[in-house]
Amino acid sequence: MTRIKFLFDRTERLAFLSHLDLVRLFIRALRRAHLPLAYSQGFNPHPRLALALPLPLGVLAENEPGELYFVEQVKAEEFKKELGSHLPEGVCLKQAFTAALDEPALASQVEAALYRAELRELPEIASQWNEQQVSRALSRMLKKEEILAPRRGKKNKTGYKNVRPGIIRAEIVKNNSGPAAVELYLKAGSRGGVSPFFLLEQLANETGNVSLSGECWRLYRQGLYRSDGKLLMTLPEGM
Amino acid sequence: MITNSEKLQYILAGVQKPARYQGNEWNAVHKNHSLVRIKMAFAFPDLYEVGMSNQGLKILYEAVNCHDDLLLERVFAPDLDMESKLREYGHPLFALESGASLADFDAVGFSLQYELSYTNVLNMLDLAGIPLYSSERRETDPLVIGGGPCVFNPEPLAPFFDLFILGEAEDALPLVLHELANLKDKGADRSEILKALALLDGVYIPAHYKPYYSEEGRFQGLEYLGPPGREVVVKQKMDSLDLAPYPTTPVVSYIQTVHDRAVVELFRGCARGCRFCQAGYIFRPVRRRSPEKIIDLAEKLITSTGYDEISLSSLSSSDYPHLDSLLEKLNQTMKKNPVRCSLPSLRLDSYSIDLADRLHGGRRGSLTFAPEAATERLRAVIKKNIDENDIYTALDSAVEAGWQGFKLYFMIGLPTETDKDVESILTLCRAIRERYKAKVKGSFRLSVSVSTFVPKANTPFQYEPQITVAEIKRRQQILINGFRKIKGIDFSWHDAETSYLEAVFARGDRRLAPLLEKAFRLGCRFDGWSDHFDFNKWEQAFTETGIDGSEHAGRKFTPEDYLPWAHLDCGIDREIFIREHYLAHTECDDGGSAR
Repeated sequence: MTRIKFLFDRTERLAFLSHLDLVRLFIRALRRAHLPLAYSQGFNPHPRLALALPLPLGVLAENEPGELYFVEQVKAEEFKKELGSHLPEGVCLKQAFTAALDEPALASQVEAALYRAELRELPEIASQWNEQQVSRALSRMLKKEEILAPRRGKKNKTGYKNVRPGIIRAEIVKNNSGPAAVELYLKAGSRGGVSPFFLLEQLANETGNVSLSGECWRLYRQGLYRSDGKLLMTLPEGM
Repeated sequence: MITNSEKLQYILAGVQKPARYQGNEWNAVHKNHSLVRIKMAFAFPDLYEVGMSNQGLKILYEAVNCHDDLLLERVFAPDLDMESKLREYGHPLFALESGASLADFDAVGFSLQYELSYTNVLNMLDLAGIPLYSSERRETDPLVIGGGPCVFNPEPLAPFFDLFILGEAEDALPLVLHELANLKDKGADRSEILKALALLDGVYIPAHYKPYYSEEGRFQGLEYLGPPGREVVVKQKMDSLDLAPYPTTPVVSYIQTVHDRAVVELFRGCARGCRFCQAGYIFRPVRRRSPEKIIDLAEKLITSTGYDEISLSSLSSSDYPHLDSLLEKLNQTMKKNPVRCSLPSLRLDSYSIDLADRLHGGRRGSLTFAPEAATERLRAVIKKNIDENDIYTALDSAVEAGWQGFKLYFMIGLPTETDKDVESILTLCRAIRERYKAKVKGSFRLSVSVSTFVPKANTPFQYEPQITVAEIKRRQQILINGFRKIKGIDFSWHDAETSYLEAVFARGDRRLAPLLEKAFRLGCRFDGWSDHFDFNKWEQAFTETGIDGSEHAGRKFTPEDYLPWAHLDCGIDREIFIREHYLAHTECDDGGSAR
């Protein structure tokens, strides 16, 4: 058994895959590359491949972590080369290294995620942007003690959840040449997280300019973090 | 890439399932537009998930793109939300590979699989700014081509198309495109191009035929105006499947499609000859692929796609000789990269059950069968040659093998059908439930789906009228009332108006074109989808165009009548249809007094 952790980028060419689409993409690429992916035991075996945190549809990613298990010995370099040549343009393998089998699952360590939302560079969108207005709206939003988000998920379980505590940091990024951008550092992971899309909608509402919502932004996930505030996955020593 | 334009990303970020319009799938073919002689877009008038499951698309994608000087890209019908965004932003409908507007192609070829996708055809042309009518197209507009089973009666669509290809197009389409390239090089204009293409086998140019109607409004045949000697268009077919091009590197979708698996076609055609079944006639003769070729293709497909499931497809898979040994060999070959095999279209017999048994390792869900009719008499009329004993023997062995339930398909409205035949669906299903509910471990699931017979061109039942909508509803009510009293059966039925419209367009002639345009203008889209189908709009379209649909759906043809599709030769002697039609009625005990 080999455990390999990897980092990948997702670019605009494949921005619109859901989490499950992306997992399926990896599994099919592994099969094309004839890499011996391990399957769980049991009645309904599933492939032992996991992305650290589901990447929402439409969100681009830089150095997004994932991990998988092989039934045989597979060297990280070989994995990177073989899988890399069977991935489509739009998903790019950046790094891969072997990991100890007994470390906890990546997914269980995710505590926070850093997003960067850039305004799309279209004239009709750029004209909606008023930095002062957005800046004031953002500080108003952050001063609130309660931001209620509809609870998603299981059927018959409706209600609202206060997501304000999930916003660790949110600020407008000064950028003279590039497009207007907002950085969001949000709680994430199995113990609960905040959707960046939801906050952008809230922000649009707060500015009173609803046309600044959702699809106007290009969202990047720039990193996943652990509870100690360190990056979830960094390269081991010597790499 | 044009598809990556900021504007398109913005549009896609605001629609449902944007991956449908994203392209860039594994094995998608990207060619430089300036380096090919002819650019064609393959347009599928239904959603991406449906179109990407179509085997014809995969075959033609390979058959055209294997030529360096030709290019075939894909486009599917946009869902309603995408359509309104495209219209709102004035963004033309585009092909997935290059993002280029359909209007920038030399040809746009529609796959015509189902009559209720016709409004989508018009919508797709409109979204690309291509004039709907062939007669209105300019020299710069693409040639609009139609192919697929509906071309066996394409008459309601005739004025919208420049040409149709009748039959199997894997050889014919590249020939047409190469000839088009030569003609364009010579500077031929549109009408010269059509005259020249009319000389190719299987090519039907609707503008070369002028229809006549009697004063009572009956279709009286067509006058041929094209180049001499091509009055009758003959269906194209591949002689050998082993030599036919086959897509071993099909495009692999990221989102789940209707059939999300590798497909190897075992054979084409069907020898059974059920009298209602158009596929059983138009895909004749039966041509088998050799086991060696099948295994070779399966291996290549799995390697190139990464699928973990392979479907061995055909119209009646258990008719493939020595299928068991083929499956054995396939398993041997695939040991390193295990795949699941599936067999669609199983017959109702124990051999088929035995095969299905071997294919399913673990969990046993439901098995699907189509007895089509519930009485022996009616099954004889439609030539579905199974008796009740066959049904029970097959179901017995399925239950023994551990299957937990069945899905059964029936049809109502078949020629000579009486209320007794309809009621027998209830009797048969009740008996099946009684027989197995105790034998099955856990709960026995029985679902019954009842569709309405639609007479199709080039079948023995092409002469038969469809029963009226009111009569469809009356017979459905017998079933609805009956199944309400039988516990534990999940009963579903097809919408009567949908089947009616299908019959209108399956049997109609060119006078229906204005109706189609009107329905499209009134907003009809995705008429085959019950959540989109709006019969009120269709009724309005009938009223405003003054067309009586029942004249087409409910018309009984005699062998002496002119059939709207008589100039399209499906390769079967007309006498065979007449004889089979006659035989169907002699199977009927009561001499057809029921009608």
